[in-house]
Amino acid sequence: MQIDLSTPTGAALGLLPEIVLTVWAMGLLLVIGWRHSDQRLVRRLGAWTVGGLLLALGVVGWMWHRGVEPVGLPVMLALDGFRWAAATVFLLGALAAALLAIGYLSRERILVPEFYPLLLFATIGMLLMGGAADLIVVFLGLELMSLAVYVLAGIRRRSAASAEAALKYFLLGAFASGFLLYGIALVYGATGSTNLYAISFQLAGGGGGNSVMLGLGIALLLIGFGFKVSAVPFHMWAPDVYDGAPTPVTAFMAAAVKAAGFAALVRVALIAFVDHAAAWQATMWWLAVATMVVGNLVALAQRRVKRMLAYSSIAHAGYLLVAVASATPSGGAAFLFYAFAYTAMTIGAFAILSAIGRDGESEVLVDDLDGLAQRRPWVAFAMSVFMLSLLGFPGTAGFIGKWMILSTAIGAGQTTLAVALVLASVVSAGYYLPVVMAMYMKPQQDSEVADRATVLGGARVVIVAAAVALLLFGVWPNRALDLARTSSRELSAPAGVMIGLPQE
Amino acid sequence: MPPMLDWVWLVVVLPFLGFLVNGALSFFRPKATRAISIMGVGVVVVAFLVALAAAAGFAGLHAEEPVLVHLWSWIPIGALDISLTFQVDALSIVMLLVVTGVGMLIHVFSIGYMREDPGYGRYFAFLNLFVFFMLVLVLGASFPVLFIGWEGVGLCSYLLIGFWYSEKANADAGKKAFIMNRIGDAGFLVAMFWIFKETGSLAFQEVFARAPSLLAVGGPTITGITLLLFLACTGKSAQIPLYTWLPDAMAGPTPVSALIHAATMVTAGVYLVARTNVLFAMAPVSSAVVATVGAVTALWAASIALKQWDIKKVLAYSTVSQLGYMFLGVGVGAIASGIFHLVTHAFFKALLFLGSGSVIHALHKAYHHTHAHEDAQDMRNMGGLARWMPWTAGVMWLATAAIAGVPGFSGFFSKDEILAETFAKGHEHPLFFVLWTVGTITALMTAFYMTRMMLYTFHGPNRTGEGERSHLHEAPWVMTGPLVVLAAGSVLGGLLNLPEVVPAGAGWLRHWLEPVTAAGDFYRPEAHLPIGTEWLLLGLATVVAAGGIVAAWRLLRPEALVPAREAVPETGLARILLRKWYVDEIYDAIVVRPLVWVSRNVLWKGVDAGVIDGAGVNGSARVARGVGAIGSWLQTGQVGTYVFFFVVGVLLILRAATRT
Amino acid sequence: MMESLFVGLGYERWALNALLVLPLVGALLVLAAPAARAKHVALVVALVEFAVSLGLWWTFDAGQSGMQFRFAAPWIPAYGIAYNVGLDGISLFMVLLTTFTMPLAILGSFNYIKARERGFYALMLVLTTGMIGVFVALDLFLFYVFWEVMLIPMYFIIGIWGGERRLYAAIKFFLYTFVGSLLMLVAILVLYTVVGRETGTYSFDYHWLLFQSSIARPWGIWLFLAFALAFAIKVPMFPFHTWLPDAHVEAPTAGSVILAGILLKMGAYGFLRFAVPFFPDAAFDPRVASIVITLAVVGIVYGALVAMVQPDFKKLIAYSSVSHLGFVMLGIWAMTTQSVAGAVMIMINHGVSTGALFLLVGMMYERRHSRLIADYGGLARVMPAFAAILTLVSLSSIGLPGTNGFVGEFLVLLGAFQTHPVAAAIATTGVIFAAVYLLWALQRIIYQKLDNPENERLTDLRPREYAILVPIIVMILWIGLYPKPFLTRIERSVNEFVTRSVQPVGPPPGIVRLDPVPEAE
Repeated sequence: MQIDLSTPTGAALGLLPEIVLTVWAMGLLLVIGWRHSDQRLVRRLGAWTVGGLLLALGVVGWMWHRGVEPVGLPVMLALDGFRWAAATVFLLGALAAALLAIGYLSRERILVPEFYPLLLFATIGMLLMGGAADLIVVFLGLELMSLAVYVLAGIRRRSAASAEAALKYFLLGAFASGFLLYGIALVYGATGSTNLYAISFQLAGGGGGNSVMLGLGIALLLIGFGFKVSAVPFHMWAPDVYDGAPTPVTAFMAAAVKAAGFAALVRVALIAFVDHAAAWQATMWWLAVATMVVGNLVALAQRRVKRMLAYSSIAHAGYLLVAVASATPSGGAAFLFYAFAYTAMTIGAFAILSAIGRDGESEVLVDDLDGLAQRRPWVAFAMSVFMLSLLGFPGTAGFIGKWMILSTAIGAGQTTLAVALVLASVVSAGYYLPVVMAMYMKPQQDSEVADRATVLGGARVVIVAAAVALLLFGVWPNRALDLARTSSRELSAPAGVMIGLPQE
Repeated sequence: MPPMLDWVWLVVVLPFLGFLVNGALSFFRPKATRAISIMGVGVVVVAFLVALAAAAGFAGLHAEEPVLVHLWSWIPIGALDISLTFQVDALSIVMLLVVTGVGMLIHVFSIGYMREDPGYGRYFAFLNLFVFFMLVLVLGASFPVLFIGWEGVGLCSYLLIGFWYSEKANADAGKKAFIMNRIGDAGFLVAMFWIFKETGSLAFQEVFARAPSLLAVGGPTITGITLLLFLACTGKSAQIPLYTWLPDAMAGPTPVSALIHAATMVTAGVYLVARTNVLFAMAPVSSAVVATVGAVTALWAASIALKQWDIKKVLAYSTVSQLGYMFLGVGVGAIASGIFHLVTHAFFKALLFLGSGSVIHALHKAYHHTHAHEDAQDMRNMGGLARWMPWTAGVMWLATAAIAGVPGFSGFFSKDEILAETFAKGHEHPLFFVLWTVGTITALMTAFYMTRMMLYTFHGPNRTGEGERSHLHEAPWVMTGPLVVLAAGSVLGGLLNLPEVVPAGAGWLRHWLEPVTAAGDFYRPEAHLPIGTEWLLLGLATVVAAGGIVAAWRLLRPEALVPAREAVPETGLARILLRKWYVDEIYDAIVVRPLVWVSRNVLWKGVDAGVIDGAGVNGSARVARGVGAIGSWLQTGQVGTYVFFFVVGVLLILRAATRT
Repeated sequence: MMESLFVGLGYERWALNALLVLPLVGALLVLAAPAARAKHVALVVALVEFAVSLGLWWTFDAGQSGMQFRFAAPWIPAYGIAYNVGLDGISLFMVLLTTFTMPLAILGSFNYIKARERGFYALMLVLTTGMIGVFVALDLFLFYVFWEVMLIPMYFIIGIWGGERRLYAAIKFFLYTFVGSLLMLVAILVLYTVVGRETGTYSFDYHWLLFQSSIARPWGIWLFLAFALAFAIKVPMFPFHTWLPDAHVEAPTAGSVILAGILLKMGAYGFLRFAVPFFPDAAFDPRVASIVITLAVVGIVYGALVAMVQPDFKKLIAYSSVSHLGFVMLGIWAMTTQSVAGAVMIMINHGVSTGALFLLVGMMYERRHSRLIADYGGLARVMPAFAAILTLVSLSSIGLPGTNGFVGEFLVLLGAFQTHPVAAAIATTGVIFAAVYLLWALQRIIYQKLDNPENERLTDLRPREYAILVPIIVMILWIGLYPKPFLTRIERSVNEFVTRSVQPVGPPPGIVRLDPVPEAE
């Protein structure tokens, strides 16, 4: 289906998912303004949010299915498979977070109905990032998402730690945004455009402009993104924030927020600067290695599950950086599949954590899981699936994802990076397996953890869905792989065509 | 091929059948001693008869070539094709008859000797199994098949030495025997590999046919191969340096010592050299080594035998010594003489062991009656037994005469032949004169210590003890019967191979073995002694034997002995000899202990636990954790720290960016 | 006659699939069954599995070269990944060994496993699938998946039902193997990518990659090392063996039996099937070869010496495995028909004999709850049948001619001597040490005085235990006295292996490939 983005209707159609969510979020805000907030309201808002996300998901699915294409040049928003694929991942992540939140907020006595609109606004930001065809839109979406997440991170007002973490996040985030913005400015200065395709055309045409300026611009962009995806050494905020935030938010950040950052990064790297890879590949290489090594090693030293997962999410950011560092479209494909798998496994893990924890769960130790398998076999089984998938063990989607990243890196001739990745994941076995070990191989102790482990309705849906998805796509990934590959191919479409020049 | 030879496999199968049946009985019907006796002895008797038939059949053939009986293809892979084939020829016939014949007698003897033993069934099962393996050994038509028997007999010896396994000493002795044999067997294996590498086959006929054309006479290859084979022999036949297991092997029941550690198994080494005489003939150096080791062992063991108190230890060392003679014989190329001595030795040594067995039996019973805990094997507790055991004493004197080399007795001829041929070889190389001298001195010592043993055991006053004396008595006929038969062998065995000087029927065995030894003799210069020298040597041998006996008779004073309990410990040379030159202690100190110590403290605790695991595996894990800990320690929670690292990262990246 | 029967059933087509699926179905049945019945269900499944696998013995065509019982179906065609299985003479016996061992291992656990039986027996069956998969996979991706998946059940078996230090042993086992196999994954992907780029055909098909592997020659040495590490750890070769003693000792009887009997063979199998044929000139590069052979010989002697001084009988057997597998490696690298065939024979024999030893230790342990040699002594008096069988099995492990152990060691050493006389000669001393450590242990366990009162009234073997041991004894004697049927089935595959490794040219025989996609990226 062709859409002419220059016409209002076309533009509206192109923005349909975002519009739907925005309207929905506004609606919720109105309701909140009207009604005095209480348990029931919060819970009902949660239900509506889920509904809204499902609706958006439907819209995205419809547009993806119809193969919407732009007439003329995609000035601000791309209408390609990558956008839809990414959007699906974000929406699923948000959906899972909302489902977790419903039970969680009421259990933790967090009577903040604004939670849900914020979640939606963050999601809208992500959708923009995933679809951005222009650096300005990237920044717009990123800020929209970030602002919402800052608040979400600190939503447990009663907890000082949470508030402090949120503040840190905000300060450093603002700092990083500055770098990003300045980077955009420099790139504009170097290429005279902020449109990704235009930039790539410029660079392809050799009109590199001031290459030092460009280099600096790219570097600053990398820093900005590096912060969002918590790449070492810009990761320091992550553990504290993940620790302080309510677990559903943590899950949301670890999965969707990170994925959004990567989606934007992939777009920028693989569209705008793909021909200029030399300028950033080396940096990306080092970022990837540092992130993998630090993330995994530090996670090894953690005894508290939540913090361990926080560091593990940093490690996984490292894996994704490997995919991006390849600077090939298959990197995009690898990213899409891995992001999907990673969303499922990490949210699943956090869901179980939220089920067995209390007061933000930051105090749950690995040892508290001892002997869980005897009392709650299914929970233990699901957790093992998530852990093994995080470990990248065959039979789970995590393995397929890791395998795609590896073959991407090797295909791009970055074998050393691949080796670094596998060695890093050997280390990761050192902290994922103890969880399994505790649940199955240690005698069950009379910690109240097992008894109070009440998997609430929403969480149950998330856990089951995640586990099933991981196993299913671990054994039969064909469909997902094809989608990932086809939708990332479009990233490598010739820039000239994209900006409407006649093909020679 | 005459029908008897088609059935030769029966000789082998029967004892195995006995093993199976007796083994089953020992588990499910341990009390059925009659059935076990009939089965255990019957199979060997029948085997002996079949062997006789085979011998007759083969003799009728007048075959120069061995008769091969192919059973089935065992290990066929690539160029290698080992088949389970038996080989009937002059040599294997001789061995066949010795093993089944002497074996039969010893089985009969065992009925009486082991009657009261709770492990009766197990005993006969093992004994049958031994005969089975021994027959495989002598009939095997290729090195690997021979090796089956070779290791099989080792196994049985292990099982029978440790038959009374409750005593640690016995179990130790069994283990020692097996391991010492294994050292030799390793040599055997390597020899086989080498032979296959050079000749592309392991079947005797092919190897012996090809070796002369493929290998240089006296070359390093053939020498290496033969020396490795001889290493195996030193293990199996208790020669220096691997002889120390045999004396300990006396821990087993006495009939076992007679059968395995005197008559048959320990002679397997001699058989092997005789079997591969072509190869040894091609390697003069190896042959010389064989002869030398043989002679030295003979002297060495004889010296120890001089001072032993345990009657079986005396016989054990005498066996080592006599085996030395056999190796001296086959070493100088006198294959027939070596085999000849093997046969006669089988008779008189088996007789001596069984005789000592019935003595021990008697004393044991006596002490059992009075519940005394005396050593029933110590000669100092014997003395004057001839009065109670005339038969035993008589036949043992005959055997003593034989081993001492009294003219007319079997040992006289066989030993003299070996010495004569050694002397004859002296013209090639003076070394052999030396060896001859050693052999002669040993002969003197042999006569001496054997007489000593007889004196202390059967003559002079009895030292068994007042209470026990009344219980001493001659053994039952099942035990004395076999002794008598063996005595006949010991006396008349010489007829098998009379010396050249004798006008009629000289050298029958030599001619019989011609087909086997001919190929080897081709490489050896014909060394023939003038008749005069022959006579001279015969006379000398007579003098030596007489001298030894008389000397013992004159010098030793049985009356002076006191029972073991009251005996004062020896001193000086006597002590050294009694303690067997401390060889066991030396081996223990320089081989066994260091090996165990290194394995435990260096390899296991050091390399394995320390280096690989400690430093490598767990070490790396510890390092990873440590680094991680540092990482999380840097996670201070202070925004300042975070900004600091942030800025560091920024600077690094900008630096990289501006470089390009 | 049996053959025609099986052929009539169209056996060739479904045999391997059945062998792979049956245990999984069985595992579900076990989980569904009541806890008390779980073991019986598992046993029946394992026996059926064995019965099905027996057909391979008759229908396998020793005269035919290349893979037999082929079955292939696309799995992830976009990346040239297929479910592709087949057998040759070598994997044939690995599969039979697996199906032969499993019922015994399960039967051996009847009294040993008291807790969470359902889970245990289900895992045992899953493990069966994993192991058979490793041996029949003809697609490198599929092979890798099986190779890894098989880790998990073993990890749980050690970790849940193991001894005191089971957690340490379990994670050590896992990590050790994981390191190697991940590097192997990288190597596989590099090979896949390089071949794909050169030929335009991206496929994980075994024969395709084998056929084209010469393309990857420039990277050969590195790829080989990556494969070799994974396999060397599994074998285990000195100095990568330290996971073995811990795993063996801590694992429950069945676990040890499977570890020793089958898992270790996967390493050697990997060398025979992948590492060496793919990169022959790397494998036989003088430096590499000399290192491997040295390590093999060191392993033989070292393993034996360390075994000698072990106070724990299970640990003793574990180190003896290091020694035995050293013979296997020597055999492979000696690269003569005899030595390689001997290596395969040792793989079978070691599976039978060492498996049997672990089962016997298990029987001792069930009676006395101790693995320390010092706690025993004089058992021959109270347990004559046990003593007799333990002796026989030990002798087969020592390699007494007439037992299975001899055939393998003899062939390996004989073959090795043709190409590497010195190494073979040194390795032969391992034969002596084997006698030392086993006979010494034997003496301290079944001989000598029965001085420990706790051993006074130990009961001799029970019918169930006879049922376990008799098949093993039959195998020991059969292979020892008439190994011909085994050797004839092995010989052709071995020859192909040797010839390919000596001059790696031309397409491997019997190559049947799926149509690979023309382009993946």
